[in-house]
Amino acid sequence: MSATTMDAKAAMDTFVRETGGWIASQLEACTRCGICASACHFYQSTGNPDFAPVWKVELLRRAYEQRFSPIGRILTALGVRKRITDEDLLAWSRVVYEACTVCNKCALVCPMGIQLGPLIHDVRTGLAAAGAVPDDLMAAVNKQVEEGSPLGVTDDVFEERIEWVSDEWDVEIPVDREGADTLVVFSSFEIMKFPENIADIARILNAAGESWTLSTKGREVVNFGFYEGSAEHTTLFIDRVLDGANELGVKRVMVTECGHAYDALRWTAPNLVEMPDGLEITHIVAVLDELVKAGRITLKTGAAEDDGGVTFHDACKIQRRGGHIEEPRRLLKILAPESFREMTPNREAAICCGGGGGVIAIKSADPQRYAAFGLKLDQMRAAEADTVVMACSNCRLQFLDGVQHFGSDVKVRGLSEMVAAALDGTPASDGQSE
Amino acid sequence: MDWDAFLRFLRGPLFDVALVVFVAGLAYRIVRVVALGWRRDRAPAMGSRAGGIVTSYAKGIGIWPFIPWVKDSFRGNAVTFLAGGLFHLGLFVVIFLGTAHMLVWKRLLGFGWPTLSLPVVDFLAAGAIASMIALLVNRFTQPVMRKLTGAPEMANWVFVFLPMLTGYMMTHHMFFRYEVLFSLHMLAVNVLLIWIPFSRIPHFAFYFFSRTIHGSQFGKRAVTP
Repeated sequence: MSATTMDAKAAMDTFVRETGGWIASQLEACTRCGICASACHFYQSTGNPDFAPVWKVELLRRAYEQRFSPIGRILTALGVRKRITDEDLLAWSRVVYEACTVCNKCALVCPMGIQLGPLIHDVRTGLAAAGAVPDDLMAAVNKQVEEGSPLGVTDDVFEERIEWVSDEWDVEIPVDREGADTLVVFSSFEIMKFPENIADIARILNAAGESWTLSTKGREVVNFGFYEGSAEHTTLFIDRVLDGANELGVKRVMVTECGHAYDALRWTAPNLVEMPDGLEITHIVAVLDELVKAGRITLKTGAAEDDGGVTFHDACKIQRRGGHIEEPRRLLKILAPESFREMTPNREAAICCGGGGGVIAIKSADPQRYAAFGLKLDQMRAAEADTVVMACSNCRLQFLDGVQHFGSDVKVRGLSEMVAAALDGTPASDGQSE
Repeated sequence: MDWDAFLRFLRGPLFDVALVVFVAGLAYRIVRVVALGWRRDRAPAMGSRAGGIVTSYAKGIGIWPFIPWVKDSFRGNAVTFLAGGLFHLGLFVVIFLGTAHMLVWKRLLGFGWPTLSLPVVDFLAAGAIASMIALLVNRFTQPVMRKLTGAPEMANWVFVFLPMLTGYMMTHHMFFRYEVLFSLHMLAVNVLLIWIPFSRIPHFAFYFFSRTIHGSQFGKRAVTP
């Protein structure tokens, strides 16, 4: 990404095309009071005013005023208002990609209730059209376009990995089974970095007698196009999953421990593509809770009591923007009835991990990514937590990297892995990451 | 200078023009936004949109203005919350529950309503003026606010401050003859009314858009707004 290859006009045209009443009315409602800054973990941990959410959407607002308001048009023509330049694109690329996880906590503190997260996503859409996406992130997007996965999970790698997991943990993993009820879609994070997640989820679903399958076609649920903000790439990656679902004729698609992918498939896909009739999109935490409630799996009460103080990290896309807030808590209260405790704030108001939204994939974002994780560490310390559990692999990568960076001895665990370890009468994986 | 004639012009023809600009300008702003089109959200809801919207307004109207300190964001934004709240409270009370202003509404609408006693209105007006000064200081001391401050923000502040200041001076017969103060107040009011459609002040109308969107977004995801 450099100023010479960028196209400010493309950004402007995209902003104009994307701006309907939904965006315009919220931009008009903003009084620029600056309260949103106090919700942003990046602003809070660094004090950099460029990281204030209101400043992140400033580019979109400028475009809106210059094109849609008569006064703005006149002032722009007269040169009083500055047109959007390539330098602006670079400056905003640094804040909306490198200092924003699109976690949308800012929307909760905004007195006007403006959905700042989605608006920042729209800023990304304009920057993507202009070619102002950070190089690291763009490389991952291109890799997913070409190879089907940002982490290089090609057809062969997928087949090898699944076979290996199946052998290693001695668990049956159906692939491309037509007529199964549930298509399980893993993220390449899980396939490459947390393979025990695959074994554990397989073991849980087998124990519950669920009719499920993986798909070679729809093998990658991660959507780097959604991080990028490009509707074209987002659609391409969504279609691959839906093609897999269509081919096998499943009733539902279960997204595993991945947040952004769930947001893309559950809430965004229906507005981008024609969804197959009656296809349900669900998340692993909802399914785990459902299986326990229905008595299809039983968990050993207190199975995680040896883990010390256990706390749950709410992921922005699964809890605050996904609504699966109580399910993981119900499960953890079975696994650690005595030692479970909440961080403050929690649930929909939780502080983001700092690595989502593609931030962890961008090297130059490291300083603020670690700074933001510091807030999380403070929260865990205050809650006297020894183990932190989450249902998002992206959060988990950030946590593993963060605790190592700060030399913390907090144990980082995935929810499915803990549930699998507590299954009555089945041997569990040892819970170690590769 | 014939202040009486000037005042008659300010209260008569110019006020009427200002009102027309205000109403027509505001209507244009709203219609322009609505006419941009709305895409239907086709994602099936998990929770209740309507419930979310009700909660969104209950919190927006019940919590923000009265018990802001229950919010985490209150810390670090105390001036914005308290001065901002006091400013809006003073503004609404003065405009709708001050006797002199109610009489203007009565002339415009044809009916009036009971008002608050002058000392109460006066106290809140003074509070609103003091709040505006506090907000201005805050604007120049907070790094985020400094970044967001430009000519339009300063114009907003001045055009809102002048009617309040002149109105307060008028009630207290400060410095000048009554006709002069009244003229200055009407001049400031007319300028403000004409300025509003060109400014970011219409947030009071768009509040209802953003708050509804907020409730619907969180409600459909089964999350408390």
